[in-house]
Amino acid sequence: MKVQALRIGGGVLVMLFGLWAGLRVYVSHAPKRAAVAVAPAAGVRVAAGEASPPVPSDFDAPFDLGVGTAVTPGGPILLKIPERLPEFTLGGRTGKPTSVAAWRGKSLIINFWATWCAPCRHEIPLLQSIRREWSARNVEVLGIAVDYRDKVVAYADELKIAYPLLIGEEDALDVARAFGVDSPAFPFTVFTDQRGEVVALYVGELHKPQADLILSVVQSLNQNRVQLPEARHTIAEGLRSLSTKQPT
Amino acid sequence: MKLSIRTAGVAAAALTLAALILPGSAGAKPWWMRGVESNEGDFLDPDVAYRAGSRVDGDVLRVRWVIADGYYLYRHKMDIKPESPDLVLGEPAFPRGSIKTDPYLGTQEIFTQQVEATVPFTRMDAGAHPIQIKVTYQGCAEAGLCYPPITKVIFATSGAAPAPQVKSHPWEGVAILGGGFAFLFAGFLLRKDRHLDTPAV
Repeated sequence: MKVQALRIGGGVLVMLFGLWAGLRVYVSHAPKRAAVAVAPAAGVRVAAGEASPPVPSDFDAPFDLGVGTAVTPGGPILLKIPERLPEFTLGGRTGKPTSVAAWRGKSLIINFWATWCAPCRHEIPLLQSIRREWSARNVEVLGIAVDYRDKVVAYADELKIAYPLLIGEEDALDVARAFGVDSPAFPFTVFTDQRGEVVALYVGELHKPQADLILSVVQSLNQNRVQLPEARHTIAEGLRSLSTKQPT
Repeated sequence: MKLSIRTAGVAAAALTLAALILPGSAGAKPWWMRGVESNEGDFLDPDVAYRAGSRVDGDVLRVRWVIADGYYLYRHKMDIKPESPDLVLGEPAFPRGSIKTDPYLGTQEIFTQQVEATVPFTRMDAGAHPIQIKVTYQGCAEAGLCYPPITKVIFATSGAAPAPQVKSHPWEGVAILGGGFAFLFAGFLLRKDRHLDTPAV
């Protein structure tokens, strides 16, 4: 009797193993999370958010999903974030070409945005307050709107955006590419120190705790209290910790 | 013989336990751990977040978007246009979406999870060309990222078209072999006519 029980138990366990193996394949067939950004060679890429891709059972109908030829490029793909702030020139609010060199010697928070993007609009008040809080410490916020000039200017006037804005369409996309972001999604924000070194690139809507963390490290960097690799590491660790503590 | 059966049972148990405990070397997260370890929080590539497909259903085209959890599409940014020659499309009909109220953008109709639009169509080419349509859509991640409008040309499959192929996974062969072996082994253990005891000498 005991042997019989052992036999049955062993058989059931082995069958469970087979079932588990099958389940494992089913689960692992779900499209892999495609990291929007790859680990950059320089700078700290940080992405917020949490999601899972559609599962295979979503595709049971005879639809040929996911095929097609992209006519316009899709989403953010990070190429390689530059070590240093690239040189670029874009039109300001009036259309007058303005070089980023105009802010040389300052720590920059370069925010890429568009008027049609809700999270971009959400973070503008934060950027305004950051500017008020940090401008005395040689920090400047620079908005780069990838959008139509008239729309941007109207919206900037409506919100009384006080920080400088550069505006462009294809030329602004070229600037995004210069920061290693090909086919961008918005918003994303680049932080530089006052020497023009790219310290961090944050993808997605920026929130105050994240911004404060990055800026405090940038400040330490500016005061030569930390080195760049250590600063990037501190930011990456700090943001990871923040993302586990609070939902974005 | 009793010992060997017991050993087989213990081995099977150990094997199962090990398989359950050991994380996947292929990097795929076991199903029971999904959502627990995902603190990296990367955004999805838009082609993964939003997947569009179309099929012919009588005299209408059904165009479907499958949307990843935590992502959505704006209704007013969705459009379907003919791409193949001599294809004439009627007005697309979308189901009612959900309402999203944003303090900055106002009230918007959005779709999450999945949406299917129907579009009446006529062909003037007597089926000489495959049906191709151009779909445009734009959406965002709830976590705070918006993708620019995406436009794609897709083929409409016929109703009898096979389900989309899924790429084979490196674990598949292991699982098929392991599963087959496991069932064979279980059958061997459980067969009725098996002599379990060593015959008395």
